[in-house]
Amino acid sequence: MKAVIILTLFATVCYSKPFYQKGLFDFMLEDDGSGTDIVPVDVPVGPTCPFRCQCHLRVVQCSDIGLEQVPKNIPPDTTLLDLQNNKITEIKEDDFKNLKNLHALILVNNKIKSISPGAFASLTKLERLYLSKNNLKELPTNMPKSLQELRVHENMVTKVKKSVFDGLNNMIVIELGTNPIESSGIEKGAFQGMKKLSYLRIADTNITNVPKGLPASLTELHLDGNKIAKVDSDSLNGLNNLAKLGLSYNNIISVENGSVSNVPHLRELHLDHNSLTLVPAGLNEHKYIQVVYLHNNKIAAVSTNDFCPIGYNTKKASYTGISLFSNPVQYWEIQPATFRCVYERSAIQIGNYK
Amino acid sequence: MKECVLFYFLALCSAKPFVLPPKYMALTDLMMNDMDDDVDDDNDSDDDDDDNDRNSLFPFKRNMPLRPTLPPFNMFPTCPFGCQCYLKVVQCSDLGLASIPAKIPPDTRLLDLQNNKIKEIKEKDLQGLTSLSALFLNNNKLYKVHPKAFQSTNKLRRLYLSHNQLTEIPANLPKSLAELRIHDNKVKKVQKDSFKGMNSLHVLEMSANPLENEGIEPGAFEGLTVFHVRIAEAKLTSIPKGLPSSIYELHLDHNKISSVELEDFIRYKELQRLGLGHNKIKDVENGSLAYIPRVREIHLENNKLKKVPSGISDLKYLQVLFLHSNNIGKVDVNDFCPPPSKMKKSLYSGISLFGNPVKYWEVQPATFRCTLGRNSVQMGNFRK
Repeated sequence: MKAVIILTLFATVCYSKPFYQKGLFDFMLEDDGSGTDIVPVDVPVGPTCPFRCQCHLRVVQCSDIGLEQVPKNIPPDTTLLDLQNNKITEIKEDDFKNLKNLHALILVNNKIKSISPGAFASLTKLERLYLSKNNLKELPTNMPKSLQELRVHENMVTKVKKSVFDGLNNMIVIELGTNPIESSGIEKGAFQGMKKLSYLRIADTNITNVPKGLPASLTELHLDGNKIAKVDSDSLNGLNNLAKLGLSYNNIISVENGSVSNVPHLRELHLDHNSLTLVPAGLNEHKYIQVVYLHNNKIAAVSTNDFCPIGYNTKKASYTGISLFSNPVQYWEIQPATFRCVYERSAIQIGNYK
Repeated sequence: MKECVLFYFLALCSAKPFVLPPKYMALTDLMMNDMDDDVDDDNDSDDDDDDNDRNSLFPFKRNMPLRPTLPPFNMFPTCPFGCQCYLKVVQCSDLGLASIPAKIPPDTRLLDLQNNKIKEIKEKDLQGLTSLSALFLNNNKLYKVHPKAFQSTNKLRRLYLSHNQLTEIPANLPKSLAELRIHDNKVKKVQKDSFKGMNSLHVLEMSANPLENEGIEPGAFEGLTVFHVRIAEAKLTSIPKGLPSSIYELHLDHNKISSVELEDFIRYKELQRLGLGHNKIKDVENGSLAYIPRVREIHLENNKLKKVPSGISDLKYLQVLFLHSNNIGKVDVNDFCPPPSKMKKSLYSGISLFGNPVKYWEVQPATFRCTLGRNSVQMGNFRK
């Protein structure tokens, strides 16, 4: 009886502490053999940790253990669940049912083909969902409204439907790279409602255009490794906050006049490894641009006013990186005055590096 | 020892309340909190080093790169292109990077480089990242790590190197490591000095490597207090004997272990969870389990056992025992539960016996008198 009372006290004290420790450190709460009187009897005390996982400070780490499905008995107050590098093929309706406190769910590098439509619905606090390296053909539906970051890199997604992102007004980061997405598969306005979206990456896909109707909140847009042949000025229209634009490794022949001025706060523009024959127009009037990568293109001539303002220097941030190497233009054909607004010599790479 | 436990208990109970992190930074903060806590749990040797540095005549470490002063109107902080940098977290996963990017902010605490094509960690790649506490390099093409690559990262706690091409555990890893994951590489050897001085290493995951018993050099784990060791999917033919005596979880599933011998667990008195599923175990030697009296969970499924290992009924705290898919033809009424004179301290919550030749009607109901309930036993020869 005494033992039971002591045990009860012990258990109460343990439950009252601000966060409980299980897994890695719960051995510290166990007896060490010398005090065999105080030992949990009959019922296992507190939530258990799935076998082979490590549970520590509400983080449940189950990566690399060959799981074929989401384990049962995940502690209900888990905030981070790492299931990466397993062999999970399917996410079922009830797999995450009780995890109301989950903030981050990492399912990277599994074999997930299907996700039950309601699987994420109960995760009302989920902020990060990492699904990269799976076999998904579609983006999951009914993602929680709390979601801020979605990574679906390297899957088999072909379409981006508007309904998928409907109501996800807290989204900040979306990574959709390395998927067989086509431009026609991106539904018009698919990203439009996400008023906080800051980072969007659709790299290494099959898209042929810069998607239209992107939210004005974007600060970074990465579209490298696609099949874009032309940058239309209206596709960048309204992106007043865009600071970084990645368009490397496409087939871009021209950047339409007005494109650069449509993104007034751009500071980094990567256009290397394309088929440009001219330096994009408008750089000389741009006040904030600092980095322009143009290497590995077909630029045969550079004019004195391509980069710097015509009159006195109106730039508000100076260039820190301009690359022009691996273009047909020879460095001796570029007049030194072309870079009159650049104060740091090392900012410019011209020589035909070979 | 008792005092020690009490001390930990007090420390845990009086730990600072878990403050909910600001919305967007939840993951980051979780990881950070975690790390902070880990640091708090340790003895302060690391911190002492730092203090020495701070008090020295030279305020910066010698290896601190000289960062050029930024031009007067560069109003933006640097972040490698394509990466996201926020609150000391640098997120550069899935970018197809062929090398570790330059210009990583020197105050970075978490650097996520997973899912790229990085082949090498070069001498200067991590230079100056003295605040780094977590580095994720899993899923790359790493085959080479410069022996001085980790020279300045002396606060690194978590290092994830899984899914790469490493043939050995990189030399001179930081002594501060608490978690090292090197799953699915080509490691054949654990050198004697691989983990030397890693006094706070708690988790070691090195499964899916072509590691044989002979590949573990004697003394490789000497002085370590690792709690969780996993060497699954390797080429082990017996239970390694030189692992740290502190281990609390040991996972050796999917190896080629053919038997459990008498003294295999003699050093592992703290063991609570033992995973030996998917091996070729024919026999668990009588008395071998008596060395792990505190074990709570044993997985022996998918082996070649002909009977329930002897000594099981003496394990007072054993709650879960998986024996399915073996060759067990007979179960005795006293295989699992102690005689009434001896008390079992915790009842079984899971026993599995399906996939064995034994028929359920041949097992006496009293065999399971010390289980929590009916659902605790899975008998039926699950075959459809």
